[in-house]
Amino acid sequence: MKVLNTENLRKNREKGLQSIISGGVRVAVGMGTCGIGNGAEEIYRALKGSPHRTGDVHVVKTGCFGFCAEEPLVNVHIPGKPLVILHRVILKDVPDIIKWVMGGKIPLDKALCRIEEWDHLTGKIIYGRGMEDVPLWDEIPFFKGQDKIVLRNCGLIDPEDITEYAAVGGYSCLQKVLAENKPESVIEEIKKAGLRGRGGAGFPTGIKWELMRQSPGSPKYIICNADEGDPGAYMNRNEIESDPHSLLEGMAIGAFATGASEGIIYVRAEYPLAVKRLRKAVKDAGDCGFLGKSIFGSEFSFIINVVEGAGAFVCGEETALISSLEGKSGRPSPRPPFPAQKGYKGKPTNINNVETWYNITAIISGGWKRFRKTGTGKSPGTKVFSLVGKVANTGLVELPLGMSLSTLVYGIGGGSDKKIKAVQSGGPSGGCIPAELFETPVDYESLAAIGAIMGSGGMVVMDEDNCMVDVAKYFVEFTARESCGKCVPCREGLFRAMEILKNLTAGKGSESDLALLEDLGTVIKDTALCGLGQTGPNPVLTTLKYFMEEYLAHIKGMCPAKVCPELIRYEILEKKCIGYTVCARNCPQNAITGGKKKAHNIIQEKCVKCGICLEVCKFGAVKKI
Amino acid sequence: MPVACKNKRRRSHKLSAARLDRLILRDKDKPGSLLGILEEAQKLNKYKYLPEETLVYIAEKTSVPLSQVYSVVTFYSFFNLQPQGEHTITVCRGTACHTRGSKDILDMIRTGLNIDGDSDESVPVTTEDNKFTVRTVACIGQCALAPVAEIDGKVLSRITREKIRKILKSGYSAEKK
Repeated sequence: MKVLNTENLRKNREKGLQSIISGGVRVAVGMGTCGIGNGAEEIYRALKGSPHRTGDVHVVKTGCFGFCAEEPLVNVHIPGKPLVILHRVILKDVPDIIKWVMGGKIPLDKALCRIEEWDHLTGKIIYGRGMEDVPLWDEIPFFKGQDKIVLRNCGLIDPEDITEYAAVGGYSCLQKVLAENKPESVIEEIKKAGLRGRGGAGFPTGIKWELMRQSPGSPKYIICNADEGDPGAYMNRNEIESDPHSLLEGMAIGAFATGASEGIIYVRAEYPLAVKRLRKAVKDAGDCGFLGKSIFGSEFSFIINVVEGAGAFVCGEETALISSLEGKSGRPSPRPPFPAQKGYKGKPTNINNVETWYNITAIISGGWKRFRKTGTGKSPGTKVFSLVGKVANTGLVELPLGMSLSTLVYGIGGGSDKKIKAVQSGGPSGGCIPAELFETPVDYESLAAIGAIMGSGGMVVMDEDNCMVDVAKYFVEFTARESCGKCVPCREGLFRAMEILKNLTAGKGSESDLALLEDLGTVIKDTALCGLGQTGPNPVLTTLKYFMEEYLAHIKGMCPAKVCPELIRYEILEKKCIGYTVCARNCPQNAITGGKKKAHNIIQEKCVKCGICLEVCKFGAVKKI
Repeated sequence: MPVACKNKRRRSHKLSAARLDRLILRDKDKPGSLLGILEEAQKLNKYKYLPEETLVYIAEKTSVPLSQVYSVVTFYSFFNLQPQGEHTITVCRGTACHTRGSKDILDMIRTGLNIDGDSDESVPVTTEDNKFTVRTVACIGQCALAPVAEIDGKVLSRITREKIRKILKSGYSAEKK
């Protein structure tokens, strides 16, 4: 068995290297969900089907390199030259790309950046030197300061090809760990590295593993929590879609260290591509003998099951997730007992977030000292953030922990044309951080100190057009809807908070409501059963703390950002209106009067404030007041 | 979760027992098997829902109490207890989409399809002619391309009301996918 697995790994590695760097021209299309949503599928098909393409130009799929705003991205590699990333590729560019690469050249007008060599942490790939007129990848603002540890393979290898993962050193850490056969020293390594759970709470992973190892009972289970339910966060989706094998290898190492024999990946059904690639990866790894019985000839056997969630946010909570796996509604249960003592089917269970698992191989391959070189003393390593909302450069950003929010928003994100007001970090469990506090370092403690949490890493930027009371209402509506209903503070409390916020945004609130809201939030936080309820009031409490003036304005019947429909109205400026009739034709309520070449007028009683008139008028005659 | 459906025609298309049996046999002992079996059964149903007889059958075959099966299908938003329309429009209501106006887009679709504006947005609604089901999702994870929607699983990124208006006007049909 041992010979077979080891031999398999070697063969796979050679084959993968051949396709990555030495097998002719390689054109790789970034096909994560975001790339596909921007037309990558059509581009892939056109490249592949191009009548001018000869056999030495290989068209393959790859994952996402993170710069979602510039999708579709296409990587071109001509042997001996740097890898060049082309951006915003459209269907029309395809014939040119083929023509250029057939001639041994790169279409430079589409080039975003170049990569000369890449450290996959488990192995290095040297593409080639030269082409200095194209900037290096980390010279462009979006990537400057990024440190790709978790995303080390994303967008560079074919996620559906196990040989490419092997080519960058994949499964060699598992092989090494099994050959050494010292599970305790693996745990020691993770402890020394100081890795903390990337799901949000930041519990030290090594200690969690140790508790699990010491816990009596058999069989033991390990679970990957890929139920990424936070709206505004999609790093786990991308990690799985772009590099599924790193997750499997991390889990296998974790299982070996903690004494587990079965792994479960609980992934959202809303991510069909991630599910598909994960299932393929599990099958391929099993076929090659990297999962299954006596892996690499050792006594260690390990299998992985992929389970699809069914659209319940609360299942991201570990006890709810276990309950869901057992075929029940996903309702949390009080801890203790902790899953390490009594988890899935009552057996010792260890649950880690997707991103935590991706760090395992990175730590094992280079040792804890290398890992600690990045990040801060208390929070070593990096965190992947999904930088979205009102910034120029949206995408996935991997930064060393401890960087400031302003680096993230203005440096990498490139700011916005409008005045940025806040960043919402950590989804419905997190808080709104005002621009004045953007010098706050992003780590577990610093964010908690200002009332937000790191959470899974969603960073939604908001500008002056966003109403913070509306944002608070949005999140409470979400958590109230997703509350499982088991404990009273969460079920009733969030519902009441939602009612108060609805009144406020309708201009029907009073100052006493604000005190009540704060009181209610604090009580829910202190008394709810699980993480959902305990953190659910955070968006309300932080907006009350940092954006009180907006709440007060709503009490006075004004929405400063002009978002809340009940507090705004639309009017047609008689002087600017030329009677084009487009607004009247598009008004869903027929609330606009006035004929051709005659000034129009909005009947306020009929208007539902949808704003379509403002959107369709080309003459700037409609005004939001 | 209650599902509004104005369609009065009875559409009971149960799966062939053999197909379901194979499914149950394959997955029965795996973790999360009940979710998997129900998801698969819903996928195989022509109208993408779980009729009562399917639930009863699954309960019997898996030896899970029917009450528990019902508790599960009503707990998770993924499961439908009513037949779904010919096309499903899913509007993402994630944070990034919300800050970029997804509520307006949802409202516009609902108004365009004559759906009661006061009903809870998270409850899927099917139009009377059974052509469209409009639903929301907490987050598709396409946040960088917000706002996004899906029509029959195909993701539309950076949508505007203008684009949606055109799609609805064109009398969206399967051929135009």
